[in-house]
Amino acid sequence: MNTRAAVNAPDGAGAVNTASTRAPAPPPPTLDRDKLFAARLFAARVRPYLATALFALHTVESRHVPTMAVDRHWRCYVSPGFVDRMSVEDLAGVWVHEVSHLLRDHHGRSDRVARERGLTGPGERLRMNIAADFEINDDAYGDGLVTPAGAIRPETLGLPAGNLMEDYLRWFQLGPRTQELAWLDCGSGADGLDREWDLGADGAHGLSEQQRDAVRFRVAQGITGRPGSAPSGWRRWAEEAFHPPQPWRQLLGAAIRSAVSAPGAGEDYVYGRPSRRSVSLPGVVLPSLRRRPPRVCVVIDTSGSVSDAELGSALLEVAAISRAVGGRRDLVTVVPCDAAARVAQPLCRAEGIELLGGGGTDLRTGFAKALRTQPPPDAVVVLTDGQTRWPDTRPSCRTVVGLFPRRYETGEYAEDNPDYVPDTPPDWARVVEIGSAPIAR
Amino acid sequence: MPTRTLYAALNPTLSPTQLDVAGDLLTLLRDTTTEPRPDIQLEALTLSVAADLPVLLWGEPGIGKTAALTQLADALELPLTTVIASVHEPSDFSGLPVIGDDPAEQGVPMAPPDWAVRLVRAGKGLLFLDELSTAPPAVQAALLRLVLERRIGALRLPPGVRIVAAANPRSSAADGWELSPPLANRFVHLQWTHDHEVVVRGLGGTWPRATLPRLDPEKLPEAVDFARRAVCGLLTGRPKLVHQLPGNETRRGGAWPSPRSWEMAISLIAFATAAGSSREVLSLLVRGTVGDGPGLELLACVDRMDLPDPEIFLADPTAGELPERGDLRQAVLDGVVAAVRNRPDRARWDAAWALLVRALETGAPDLVVVPATTLASIRREDWDVPASIERLAGVVSLSHRADLAQARAAAVTGTTGKGGR
Repeated sequence: MNTRAAVNAPDGAGAVNTASTRAPAPPPPTLDRDKLFAARLFAARVRPYLATALFALHTVESRHVPTMAVDRHWRCYVSPGFVDRMSVEDLAGVWVHEVSHLLRDHHGRSDRVARERGLTGPGERLRMNIAADFEINDDAYGDGLVTPAGAIRPETLGLPAGNLMEDYLRWFQLGPRTQELAWLDCGSGADGLDREWDLGADGAHGLSEQQRDAVRFRVAQGITGRPGSAPSGWRRWAEEAFHPPQPWRQLLGAAIRSAVSAPGAGEDYVYGRPSRRSVSLPGVVLPSLRRRPPRVCVVIDTSGSVSDAELGSALLEVAAISRAVGGRRDLVTVVPCDAAARVAQPLCRAEGIELLGGGGTDLRTGFAKALRTQPPPDAVVVLTDGQTRWPDTRPSCRTVVGLFPRRYETGEYAEDNPDYVPDTPPDWARVVEIGSAPIAR
Repeated sequence: MPTRTLYAALNPTLSPTQLDVAGDLLTLLRDTTTEPRPDIQLEALTLSVAADLPVLLWGEPGIGKTAALTQLADALELPLTTVIASVHEPSDFSGLPVIGDDPAEQGVPMAPPDWAVRLVRAGKGLLFLDELSTAPPAVQAALLRLVLERRIGALRLPPGVRIVAAANPRSSAADGWELSPPLANRFVHLQWTHDHEVVVRGLGGTWPRATLPRLDPEKLPEAVDFARRAVCGLLTGRPKLVHQLPGNETRRGGAWPSPRSWEMAISLIAFATAAGSSREVLSLLVRGTVGDGPGLELLACVDRMDLPDPEIFLADPTAGELPERGDLRQAVLDGVVAAVRNRPDRARWDAAWALLVRALETGAPDLVVVPATTLASIRREDWDVPASIERLAGVVSLSHRADLAQARAAAVTGTTGKGGR
């Protein structure tokens, strides 16, 4: 109860603690281990890909915890009274919920968000706990798992489902509407704030960082190995758990920079003219640094499947990057292309580039057009969603592909040919995925 | 203020000038102490340097990469030579061609720069190549030879020279070039981050003093054997992991698996084992050598090697230690049941039951359900059910309870129980 008060005090929410007020005082219930572990077995059966993580949790009986809570060292604190009150199927949902906090690294992400946005105090941590719960609860239940009593969903606050904790955090504040959520407490594993019942890093049976990574990795491998049985939220987590998408702006910038500045295109050492150091070193042959502004040709996929917003943002980036690299905007040309390539336009008219098109895609004509421009480009940048055919041979200059990722839900195009997957960009191109939001581990 | 009084004592007639006072203040500011503190980053760095593998430190500017290097050089008693790669020309690393009297007769010698000459003369040292990722491609190409063949022009670096490089990550290198995959593959990549607590305490006057790992001479053969078994065990089952050029833009210029980096991984595991380092250090080293995914698989493989052999339990169910952690315990129980299935025999079957009873008495009951069900299915007709199975009755009721709940939940959520689509 003290803990409740401590968490609630700053935001003034009353100690609405169903756990401690409703528990019968005279006979303190003993922990019904059979019920608790039957629930875990059930959870592992309906979510086989989480079994490793569920079994890796070390359970600790604790009378300080209002319900069930996890710490960052993968211990799960369980209140005997809570187990007593809940049904086995509800408890199974709680197990999955708690382990999700740990798998999704909510404590680490909370700490990062707190640092980035300057959020301090227990009230903010409570908000992070609520946002993390939203992230889990909007797709954790169903399909054999019931929603446990009292689980909160984003709809409770009128928020859209399917988002990340970081997004939810921007969308609500503590207030009258969150009053009844204030009892909620999933422990330091959910929001990074240490609790009084935590055994800490030195306590027994905690998992070290390396062990935690290993468990998360095994779960992610289980999901990517058999993607059919896991919901899309988990599949996305598994894909990105150990390879979080990088900020595409920087990647695209780096790729274009490296394409236009590599030997033969932009700036490198040549022996054509004497070095500035030659004067002081007679008899020594030195290369000197020469810079030739590169020509960049941007091929834009204007077929119907690429949205205007995507194109606009990517084109702006390309223009900015190539300006920074080449310095001269007249060296950048643009070729809009759907099934046929249009007229190449210099970017100095960029304010009014007409992006014609809207039909199917065949980027091969775009490539041909780009390579035929006079003088030939040093680098070709292609912006596309990848649903196209690619040239068979490697073009004569460096190629960067900015790819708008398309996620294919199972069964979408399975009618005629279940094995059909659009061609991936060829090996000779450097591929940057554009517009995927970075999901922190 | 000891300095001040000393000054006053020596120069009783002179009043101190402003610069002297400033000097006193500086002395006070530099007066810091150190405290011992485990530092896994520094330990990983030390082990890689000891293993004579080139290390690349990735870190934001200004977080103490150079300071760590200075400390390491002190601890290893090596002179530190710092070369800023980005301000040098390729000829500074490949040698400056000097035209002599008769090039056709004598050839054109490639003269090494002075720091290389001094390094070779000293015979040992720590060569620190700073700002690697901001060096132009031609300079990186010249560095490739320095890092791989340890040659600068006509000079060859003596074996006592160790190479450490530093680079800024792409996000903070304003106009950086990419590290090319061949160069990246030659390094052990260590992410250098700062620990908030260490920095605050350090600014308060107490910097950490890391205790460096010491290799245990008695453990050497065992360490080499362990390292080779771990890597070969993994690669036998996963041939695809042997060589994987990074195809993904995000992983270019980082660690990736190749026969060369696996060989580096073997020596690092051997060094970490001989030094008795923690798994955290091993994790940093392995993931920095072959990349995150293959590194984690290797660590999982090492974890499995640590699990007790099923045959120990089948020989004597009371021997050996069952792991405390649930997922590992289940892995052991599954392994034992699989061993019985592979070579079914009455005595082994009974021993497995005895082990399951022991597992039930010492840990969570739900872990025993799946192995018990599997074990029961292996039974031959002439095998009597052991008496100990009575004690597993609780497991049956537990499983039954889960089944009932599952049926109730399925009725609510509208699916057909066993999940899966």
